[in-house]
Amino acid sequence: MSYRERASREMRIERPSATVTPIMRKLVADSEAMLSRGPADARQRAGAARSYAIDHLEELHQQLRGQFERRGIGYHRCVTAEDAVAKVRELLGDAKRVAKSKSMVAEEIGLTHALRAEGIDVLETDIGEYIVDIEGRGPSHITAPALHLNRARIREMLARTGAELPDDDPTRLSRYVRDVVGDFFKDCDAGITGANAVVASSGRITIVENEGNVSLGASHPKLHIAVTGLEKVVADEAAALSILEVLAPSATAQPLTSFSHFLADPMPGQQRHVVFVDGGRSAILTDPRYRDILKCIRCGACMNGCPVYRAAGGLSYGSPYMGPIGAIISPLLWPDGRFADLPFASSLCGRCTESCPVGIPLHRMLLDLRGDAVSGKQAADFKERMAWKGWAASFGGATRARAATALARVGLRTFGRTVRPPGPQRDDPRLLPDPSQEHDPELLLKAADRRSIIPVAAIVEQPPADLPGRFAHRARQLGVEVVTEYESRDGDRVLTAAAGIASTGSVLLTGDQAARRPLLAANRVVVKLAAESIVAYPHNLESHLGDGDALILTGASRTADVEKIIVRGIHGAEDLLVLLD
Amino acid sequence: MKSVASCVESREYPWVLALGKTCPREHGNGRFGRTCLQWLMARVALFDPCYMSTLRPQDIGFARHILEALGDQVTMIDGRCCGQPAFNSGFHDEARGVGRQLLKAAQPHQVVVTTSGSCTSMVRHYLPTLFEGSRAAGATSIASRFVDFASYLANHPRLDKLTFKLEGVVTYHDSCHSRRELHASGAVKGLLARVDGLEVRPLLYEDECCGFGGTFSVKQPEVSVAMMTSKLDDISLTGARIVVSSDYSCLAHIESGARGIGMQIQGWSLAELLARALS
Repeated sequence: MSYRERASREMRIERPSATVTPIMRKLVADSEAMLSRGPADARQRAGAARSYAIDHLEELHQQLRGQFERRGIGYHRCVTAEDAVAKVRELLGDAKRVAKSKSMVAEEIGLTHALRAEGIDVLETDIGEYIVDIEGRGPSHITAPALHLNRARIREMLARTGAELPDDDPTRLSRYVRDVVGDFFKDCDAGITGANAVVASSGRITIVENEGNVSLGASHPKLHIAVTGLEKVVADEAAALSILEVLAPSATAQPLTSFSHFLADPMPGQQRHVVFVDGGRSAILTDPRYRDILKCIRCGACMNGCPVYRAAGGLSYGSPYMGPIGAIISPLLWPDGRFADLPFASSLCGRCTESCPVGIPLHRMLLDLRGDAVSGKQAADFKERMAWKGWAASFGGATRARAATALARVGLRTFGRTVRPPGPQRDDPRLLPDPSQEHDPELLLKAADRRSIIPVAAIVEQPPADLPGRFAHRARQLGVEVVTEYESRDGDRVLTAAAGIASTGSVLLTGDQAARRPLLAANRVVVKLAAESIVAYPHNLESHLGDGDALILTGASRTADVEKIIVRGIHGAEDLLVLLD
Repeated sequence: MKSVASCVESREYPWVLALGKTCPREHGNGRFGRTCLQWLMARVALFDPCYMSTLRPQDIGFARHILEALGDQVTMIDGRCCGQPAFNSGFHDEARGVGRQLLKAAQPHQVVVTTSGSCTSMVRHYLPTLFEGSRAAGATSIASRFVDFASYLANHPRLDKLTFKLEGVVTYHDSCHSRRELHASGAVKGLLARVDGLEVRPLLYEDECCGFGGTFSVKQPEVSVAMMTSKLDDISLTGARIVVSSDYSCLAHIESGARGIGMQIQGWSLAELLARALS
């Protein structure tokens, strides 16, 4: 099926735009506001970190191997998707119950289906993934898989598994899935996660998440496998932090995700492996026209702003990767022509390039890919090829061109009023333009009243200039209580932060994961933070990260998988209190 | 192979925007400076893009009228195409052949004013990537003399001598190529603000594409119509009956959709609006 067929089917039956467009309009505005908090050079820094990574890919992998050996983390590199699936299968051994969290690469290699075919019980533990898994059509957005479904549809989906839900309140829906997933975690053999970056200099794995399911999947079962793309390796912690600095603002308009993990040594008795999937990435790297696409950090900003994505939804792309990034990377990863029409699914408005936080010229790559599709005979039928030859011949000289335009003008004058554009579809309302149409200056004075509400310019907020003050301001915006003294309550767990981040209101927790378990079980978490350990921006955090496990906590565990409405307290405490001294 | 993605997004306009402000030949002497200026002026060319001469032949006259009111001596370039339709469809060879004709015609001119933002960005950014070696350098040099109508006007040294006056209400559609490829939105808005008595009602979602995208509107008609409908909703909410833009291609799409569903909305190019406002 072509993109056009899928898109028109989606628009006719599912109407994704009604749900997606208003959500995305707000999200894009919020993202821009979040990025404008600074630092001003965040995008350049992130872009440079990714550029360095793809320019020194082999070198970094070499270094990473050594670090993984030191930590006892398994390093695996697989050339094809099939190899990767087989490797994961082999690593799983006799594991029967597997908790999987969100991973685009797992989606790309079809991991869940392949493992299930082998009789392994795989549960999608991300709330959005859990929902689309029931629907069975795959995710429609990189970071918000169930974006195309409204709450009523999600309730229907959950009912298919026997859930009895009295209404479709997003909090109720989200917490229902949380409970199902929580029960599964009590007895599972392995956790599979993705990875947002793998740090070559220290051998730590950076994973971001909001719900807490990655925390559980990476620390709870005896076996943790991270599946990720070959290109995800970065030089050092500074590079990883620079990426985090733009990732969540661009993806979900958060300052950072609730949990940003830096996973180090496996816990005693635990095994940890990272499976790097090539799947055509090395080939992309050798083509100077497209290698920059490997800079992508999978934030989804390109699709959030894309008018084509908003109109036809993510499932129309028919690929694990949707939106502008999908239109570029799908034909590159699967060069057999099945996605050759995706680069044409764009009006080339350039919104994607404008919003890309790592500076990939997305809409220009689409132009290159279109050229490739035509020269490789994967797009454009015989009729179209003839038409362009004819066009080139008639515009090959001025006289011919003048004659051609005159002819077209006469044709449009004669038939323009009545004829609809070519194409066998009766519901296209557009008429051909009419060159003889007179413009009527009277219309200038016939304007109706304005019916749209002009948004009032937001008040420019002025956060306190001092770091502790700014930290408290930002943390409170996330619903975190910041106090200088507190009354202890039953169920409180007290932790000490290694550092805080003023621009995001985050706290950094170091030390081994076992010590942080309480985070997931407590009613309320109290974090002690020394005011002098607060840094300005995430990228300033490098020296505080230590060498072991680290977790940057930004607000409470939460999800926004139902219509992007925030529900707090998923796998983890709903209340977070920071004791500043 | 040369890539489109590697194109240089130059914001340099040699000769063009420096016009009259500094003498391009460093004479330093007022009299010589003036002579130079006149020498340059004689070479201002106005490019009538192929789609505009097909769909709206009268607009080039409006543009010429304004340039002449500014005291420029205008030479016309017509019967050429920048090659964008074929280029955007992936037919680079065809686009190169057709685009070369335009570059040849533009060669003797130092300034080529173009009444369409998307053609300007095609010539300035993409056309040079279709040529190799020394031809690429030549193409880049000619391409950099192209300037969109709005930017040229907004930077014209004698713009203050013109007064624009027109009573009424319009809304402004920011075309994607003017906005993102040429960064010319500011110039267009500045020009509209000069028109006395004109109320410009902003769209709520000014940065959204109207769904035209050249052959995209034919190849993906369903998605294109969905995008257009959303744009028409936005326009109708402003109450204005006239949409102004620096790209007539967007306007032709908006007009054809509006007529098809029975909305009384007209798309005026910037040149048309300014020419009608010229007193």
